[in-house]
Amino acid sequence: MSNTTTEALQKTYQELQLQLHPECRQIIESWASKKEEYKAETFGFKVRDKVIQLPLKYTSLSGTKISKVYLPRYKDWGDILKWNLQENVPGEFPYTAGVFPLKREGEDPTRMFAGEGGPERTNKRFHYVSLGQPAKRLSTAFDSVTLYGEDPDHRPDIYGKIGNSGVNIPTVDDAKKLYSGFDLCDPKTSVSMTINGPAPMLLAFFMNVAIDQECEKYIRANGLVEEVKAKLDQSNNKAAYNGELPEGNDGLGMLLLGSSGDKVLPADVYEKLKAKALSSVRGTVQADILKEDQAQNTCIFSTEFALKMMGDVQEYFIDKNVQNFYSVSISGYHIAEAGANPISQLAFTLSNGFTFVEYYLSRGMKVDDFAPNLSFFFSNGMDPEYSVIGRVARRIWAKAMKHKYKANERSQKLKYHIQTSGRSLHAQEIDFNDIRTTLQALYAIYDNCNSLHTNAYDEAITTPTEESVRRAMAIQLIINRELGTAKNENPNQGAFLIEELTDLVEEAVLTEFKRLTDRGGVLGAMERMYQRNKIQEESMYYEHQKHTGEYPIIGVNTFLSKNGSPTIIPSEVIRSTTEEKEFQITMLNNFKQRNSVEAQEALLKLQHVATANGNVFAALMETVKVCTLGQITNALYEVGGQYRRSM
Amino acid sequence: MSDTPIQKVRIVTAAALFDGHDAAINIMRRIMQQLGAEVIHLGHNRSAQEIVECAIQEDAQAIAITSYQGGHVEFFKYMHDMLKERNCGHIKIFGGGGGTILPTEIEELHGYGISRIYSPDDGRKLGLEGMIQDLIDQAAAVKMDTVFEVSDLKTNNWRAIAKAISAAENGRELNFASNLKDSKSVVLGITGTGGAGKSSVTDEIVRRFLRGFKEKNIAVISVDPSKKKSGGALLGDRIRMNSISNPRAYMRSLATRESDKALSRYVQEAIDVCKVAGFDFIILESAGVGQSDASILDYCDVSLYLMTPEYGAPSQLEKINMLDYADAIAINKFDKAGALDSLADVRKQYKRNHKIFMAKDEDVPVIGTIASQFNDTGVNKLFALLLNIIKTKTKVDFGTPAINTNEERTESADVIPPSRVRYLAEIAETIEAYDKWSEDQSAIATQLYQLDGVIKLMEKK
Repeated sequence: MSNTTTEALQKTYQELQLQLHPECRQIIESWASKKEEYKAETFGFKVRDKVIQLPLKYTSLSGTKISKVYLPRYKDWGDILKWNLQENVPGEFPYTAGVFPLKREGEDPTRMFAGEGGPERTNKRFHYVSLGQPAKRLSTAFDSVTLYGEDPDHRPDIYGKIGNSGVNIPTVDDAKKLYSGFDLCDPKTSVSMTINGPAPMLLAFFMNVAIDQECEKYIRANGLVEEVKAKLDQSNNKAAYNGELPEGNDGLGMLLLGSSGDKVLPADVYEKLKAKALSSVRGTVQADILKEDQAQNTCIFSTEFALKMMGDVQEYFIDKNVQNFYSVSISGYHIAEAGANPISQLAFTLSNGFTFVEYYLSRGMKVDDFAPNLSFFFSNGMDPEYSVIGRVARRIWAKAMKHKYKANERSQKLKYHIQTSGRSLHAQEIDFNDIRTTLQALYAIYDNCNSLHTNAYDEAITTPTEESVRRAMAIQLIINRELGTAKNENPNQGAFLIEELTDLVEEAVLTEFKRLTDRGGVLGAMERMYQRNKIQEESMYYEHQKHTGEYPIIGVNTFLSKNGSPTIIPSEVIRSTTEEKEFQITMLNNFKQRNSVEAQEALLKLQHVATANGNVFAALMETVKVCTLGQITNALYEVGGQYRRSM
Repeated sequence: MSDTPIQKVRIVTAAALFDGHDAAINIMRRIMQQLGAEVIHLGHNRSAQEIVECAIQEDAQAIAITSYQGGHVEFFKYMHDMLKERNCGHIKIFGGGGGTILPTEIEELHGYGISRIYSPDDGRKLGLEGMIQDLIDQAAAVKMDTVFEVSDLKTNNWRAIAKAISAAENGRELNFASNLKDSKSVVLGITGTGGAGKSSVTDEIVRRFLRGFKEKNIAVISVDPSKKKSGGALLGDRIRMNSISNPRAYMRSLATRESDKALSRYVQEAIDVCKVAGFDFIILESAGVGQSDASILDYCDVSLYLMTPEYGAPSQLEKINMLDYADAIAINKFDKAGALDSLADVRKQYKRNHKIFMAKDEDVPVIGTIASQFNDTGVNKLFALLLNIIKTKTKVDFGTPAINTNEERTESADVIPPSRVRYLAEIAETIEAYDKWSEDQSAIATQLYQLDGVIKLMEKK
């Protein structure tokens, strides 16, 4: 009797097993061995073609061994399967816990943010903050003149803004000075540029700097320095680095200041060096025009033309094998800073990302050719949803890329940078701001962000000082190096709260996707100013709650000090000096004079390429050698159209 | 011939050059409107010159600017200097920039002649409304000068033109009959439904006119509705205009004031002033209109009716009066779904209305345009068509501008092809399908696990 029962059970089992997808069966069958792998002392995995072997254990002072990755103790195959399909270990689909099996060793995900005055001052700052750091991760803030694609000028409404709240970079020579002494083709150097409207021009500046650095290295290695110097322009309109090179700056990039490699080297040598530079540079350019229109307002060209140029950049990247540089940083940060709640931030940002995917596909690019060049950028505030923003983003991206776009594994991996929320910092009791930043940084690190910027506590009232920036960096270092639980790389997994929040936020994002579809997709919704209005409503809601005290903010609307926690007004603000501004204008005029003949021709050529629907970025790579930012912007207005404001 | 003492407060609002922070100024300009002001809003990233010239052309009493990106001391002083230089020192300048403007700088600016820079402390003491009320009170106290000589009315004397239009708006009769006799100005009236893109199309026509005819001048008179309740108005057409900042262009925004109409009572006077000044081309842009409104015809030589493909069923077209009267019809936002159908429908309706059933489609003055697209071929064709109609109707020949009108619209212009427009919903559906699948598979796996357990138990027995 028991035999027949067993047989019946086995029959049911076999029938049921046929309904189980082979992949799922494989997951269940290999579960035990997968768990074993993570019990070992080290873990090996492949990155592109290299096999990396990293230790899996950390030993605490008490002798406890902490593993970098812990797996669940589930026994039920259903639980095991579901965990593998929706969570999985870091580095495996759907990458909820992270896109790499383990974090990089010896490289804190710390970016060094700078941008003030002329290129020299920012260059000094870059060298100061990265002195002694093995990895140079430079993050560049540009002044508003540059952000809007114009040249410095004595006109007072421009003059006052030169080199304030960012660095002024109107020519390729300024970019050479800005990054001088950093080897841009070294894999340990990575540069991010916060620029959107004129991003194609600034990117062309950067690429030319990298190429000319390669040329300089070649010239030095082949003993051609004297020969080259003789060829260089010796006239009065010379480009120059203002003052002494700072400590740490070996002068790389200065040899060809005021010239370019193709003017002093044979064409075939130059092309080889150019190809090498393009395939080695590492970094990110923000260049996200959609969020500009939705939240931040630094659009300068018509949206359509701006998108076309983004597509041109991506096409050029594919063509030239620019594999380590992100062509766009699809940004939620500014959407959040404008007041969006974390769900809208995530939904709008991901929907913008998918819009770029659709646009690039419609231009005939292949998803696996461009997806690895896309990166994301989020804000982390105090709201509970911020604890899962990376998890949800990675999961949605991976599922869509794999199942909707049939993209490969590399394309399925969403990589993102986090900056702690500037909006959550207050001008009252500014000492408390570091506490907020610490908690936000912890959210980000527990969520396995790929890189992180922690804000300085005084950013709410002024430009951060060296002291406040150092403290901000210490926040990350203390978490990464001192905090024991941060030695583990999947601390969020398995927490009931985190799992629930992940599902809820994912669902809310998908609901927003449908709302956007009802409005004609991202671009259709933008035309109706849907995103902008929603962001504004959410901002008002927050301000209202903050005002009434329903949303408590310590030292701002509750827990006030004896004197009422007044707003701190900075006694002085770091501003660019008259000398710096004048030097920028002089250098600009010298540049214009040096290139006055070639510039006109180059601008016409550029306009022709744009009208003929050619690749504008490929043309810009040449134009920037002889034209200034303002010249190029104004020439492109005539062929691509200026941005039209709306309200 | 007496000045009405009740003058409207007109304020130009904007965010400073290279400054995208427009949230605050948007909130403030709304309060100004609620308090009864006519607000000419320019939006973000506006140069000192653009703002000053706008204030002069619009005969505003005040300029209100937010500046959060630094350089405010230079910016505000520069505007002040420019106003003085142009004999418009009466226009008051107000500003704010939260904590970015230091107390010492506020003092310096006040000392220089800036009427008031509001600090965060002012905001806390006065409240937002109190701050705006203070601004409006100061602006209202400006004594407006409406004295002008007819001989001063020249295309480049914006101050005189502005004063003359204001004089008319304030009830003064302008006796221009004799000065108008020889006027060669052509008036183009643009009207259409709200949201059809009138300002964008106007801007595109202005751009082509200024580029095409380097010796000619243009004036734009744009009308927006006043709110009955507050008496205030948002005069928002300038925000869309990129090409108007030009020495050969003058623009004036009028609020409809008391009337509920698409046009201001003083439209004719404003046009007359521009004619006397000698503008070659005058564009009158109406507020958004209903199906039956055709009031613009009383004021213009040539009329353009602007619509979008989204008008509902073709029978709706039978109700539109302007399809009987307009000299040209543009279907803007031609990239929208159903655009080609609407072009066919409107052409058919036009033929019916004009009893020209056998006319060829190309001969019917109905054109699809995408004003949001740069150098749109549809707008190029529209511009050429308008020049032609002007030549036929008014005998004024502006000449042939160098614009390509033959090129057919390329269908690949779409950023997202129409067939892909549901992409986000498709992604959501894909993910939901995956989630459902993973739930189902996990349920099966659980059953298998349970069966496996039972089988193992049974085998032990």
